Amino acid sequence: MKLEMGKFYVKDIVFGDETKFEDGVLTVDKANALEVVREDEHITSADLFIVRPGDKVRLCPVKDAFEFRCKVEGGKGIFPGVTSPLAKAGTGKTHVLSGCSLLVVGEHWGGFQDGLLDMSGKYQNQCIFGMMPNLVLVADTDEEFERYEQQKKNHALRWAGMRLAEHIGLCVKENTPDEEEVFELPPVNRRSAEVQKLPSVVYVLQPQTQMEQLGYNTLIYGWDGNRMLPTFMHPNEIIDGAVVSGSFMPVSSKISTYEWCNHPTIHRLMKEHGKTINFLGVIMSNLNPKMEEKERCAKMVAQMAVNLGADGAIVCEEGYGNPDVDYIQTIVELEEAGVKTVGISDECTGRDGASQPLVALDEKADALVHTGNVSELYHLDPMPVVLGELEALARDGNSGGWEGCIAEDGSVEMENNGYFCSNHISGFSKKTCADF
Amino acid sequence: MKKAIHYINQFFGQVGGEDAADYKPTFHDKLVGCSNMLNQIMPDVEVTHTIICGDNYIASHTDEAVAEIIEWLKNQEFDIFFAGPAFMAGRYGVGCGTIGKAVKETFGVPVITSMNEENPGVEMFQKEMYIFKGGRKATFMKDDLGKMAAFAQKIAKGEELLPAAVEGYFPRGIRKEIFHPEGIPAADRAVDMLIKKLEGRPFQTELVIPKREKVPVAPPIKDLSKATIALVGSSGVVPSHNPDKIQTASATKWGKYDISGLDRLPKGEYKTIHAGYDPEAICEVPDRGMPVDAMRAYEKEGKIGKLHEYYYVTVGTGTTQAYAAKFGREIAAELKEAGVDGVLLVAT
Repeated sequence: MKLEMGKFYVKDIVFGDETKFEDGVLTVDKANALEVVREDEHITSADLFIVRPGDKVRLCPVKDAFEFRCKVEGGKGIFPGVTSPLAKAGTGKTHVLSGCSLLVVGEHWGGFQDGLLDMSGKYQNQCIFGMMPNLVLVADTDEEFERYEQQKKNHALRWAGMRLAEHIGLCVKENTPDEEEVFELPPVNRRSAEVQKLPSVVYVLQPQTQMEQLGYNTLIYGWDGNRMLPTFMHPNEIIDGAVVSGSFMPVSSKISTYEWCNHPTIHRLMKEHGKTINFLGVIMSNLNPKMEEKERCAKMVAQMAVNLGADGAIVCEEGYGNPDVDYIQTIVELEEAGVKTVGISDECTGRDGASQPLVALDEKADALVHTGNVSELYHLDPMPVVLGELEALARDGNSGGWEGCIAEDGSVEMENNGYFCSNHISGFSKKTCADF
Repeated sequence: MKKAIHYINQFFGQVGGEDAADYKPTFHDKLVGCSNMLNQIMPDVEVTHTIICGDNYIASHTDEAVAEIIEWLKNQEFDIFFAGPAFMAGRYGVGCGTIGKAVKETFGVPVITSMNEENPGVEMFQKEMYIFKGGRKATFMKDDLGKMAAFAQKIAKGEELLPAAVEGYFPRGIRKEIFHPEGIPAADRAVDMLIKKLEGRPFQTELVIPKREKVPVAPPIKDLSKATIALVGSSGVVPSHNPDKIQTASATKWGKYDISGLDRLPKGEYKTIHAGYDPEAICEVPDRGMPVDAMRAYEKEGKIGKLHEYYYVTVGTGTTQAYAAKFGREIAAELKEAGVDGVLLVAT
């Protein structure tokens, strides 16, 4: 499977009369963009803003992040089975406005799964989106059924984000990219003898799919990840829009839709392919609420890895707490099957830092990378501008906020749990955890 | 300028050696021995007093020693508490840990000490305070004091305190997130780690999961009526004068007591010294904690062949896994030597 990714490097975003990309500047026709947002009658109000690194701006409640993209050849759109017709992702040509993102923020209402993000100050570098220019969609909806629910599907806002990401991405469909990157991996049994001599590696993904009710979980080609069993995927599919982030778990452990498309661990494995490893591909697993489901998936993943001929594996868990059981069990099954395994997750050690970092432990999990601690307490200075509604952090059951966590002057005390994507389990995280 | 107080034992306090180990706490505003050296190497911390206490005294009169020192400290101003360094000296290490823990709990100030990794005080107290990794003996005095002083300086100057492995103290069981020292993203750390693991090269996990020690289950006793059974437990039931001075908590030793000719453990002659539960019921009937009476009855019935002539006991509360495992190995070796076939391990 071969994917050509044409990249247009964005240095800045501005508003203008026409949506276009020129000399590193993305110009957005605001009125036209808002029309795309309002295609969904459930969007009751919407506005767009531009934020840049260093701006004294706080965003809350952030729902998801997207990259501006369009399909040029192959495929029928950037999120097949979701906002685009169902088609195969990962082949042909995709154009990408690289180095910026689209952030979707609730105008008033947040929930357990939403996050806060600062564009400057002490915590700016907790999240990659604090370090790049972003177009920000702030909108409200008439989804009354979940307005006062702690757990929100955020359907209208997330789908508006996906439509807008493609609408703006289309402005570079006919342009010549600044740079072209080719992602290609032949079928696993059609590789050169030299490559086959290298240790073979699979990447096991455990996206968050623990909500039994549909509409909250990670989507794979539009299919709810709660209703699937582990399956084999080509890495190109993942980085070309086959996976859309859900709306469920504490947000610091979230892999945003932007990160599914820009997945550093996949990129690095692709780079190593043919040099130090033979990258077989991705085993897309999931995370489950019941013990039997956890065991079933762990065993199926190990079986698949073994029969693909894997010598090594990286397991990535999107979430913490209960799904640590799925995560450790999968690592154990792989190790017992003779597949040398490394895990990537964050941890939860409680306010005093003294709790067991993962819910499940096993000495077979002897190679773990840790990307942050959801219990870490953050003290945020007041920020002059808030896009959205800061009170959502305290009022709406956010995983990292609580009643009274916002002081009168706008300063905030919160847990890492609620800081948007700050543990970057996709591999962006420059954090680790240490013993003190 | 921050103020500090320094606790040392009778030997480093220049009172005497083993003969002076029962020395009661004394308090000195003229610094004694290594307190001077400690004071000289910290520009921003002043050591104002030396406390000297005998290792045996604090071990055997823990409550009195701790109470006396804490009472005295209540009238002092200090920001940091030092103890040791204790090197490999086990009783000194436990003394430093005992007083350090009490000081931290009472005053909430940072407590800094130093011990060798083989000092039992490390496992007993590493969660309670900063125990720096020290040398085996007093020739390392300068190095060990230097590490303690450097850390106190960082506290005094309000500098960022780095992870245990970087600062050089034994981890306190606390985990926090930090930015990776070399700024390497998780994706690269994971792939690099996997390549090393695949190539059989050494790699460092970011969460060390302790290995579980699994003890194989012994084969069943074929004929109980011919077997010699021993009583072993952690109830702290000992002869009333506690001849082996087993600690009331965080035990570092066990005892064995001859029960040949006894049908039960008489009240008054035996009692429990266990500080982890209300002792009244067991002191009233010591067999409740070490059931000699029931075992004798089984012996008479012929249910068991013989009750072993000694029972073995320690105190379970606060006792570390490492000590418990050590006791187990030592007691098992003796029982095997004595031809004991089975053990009734009595829980409390």
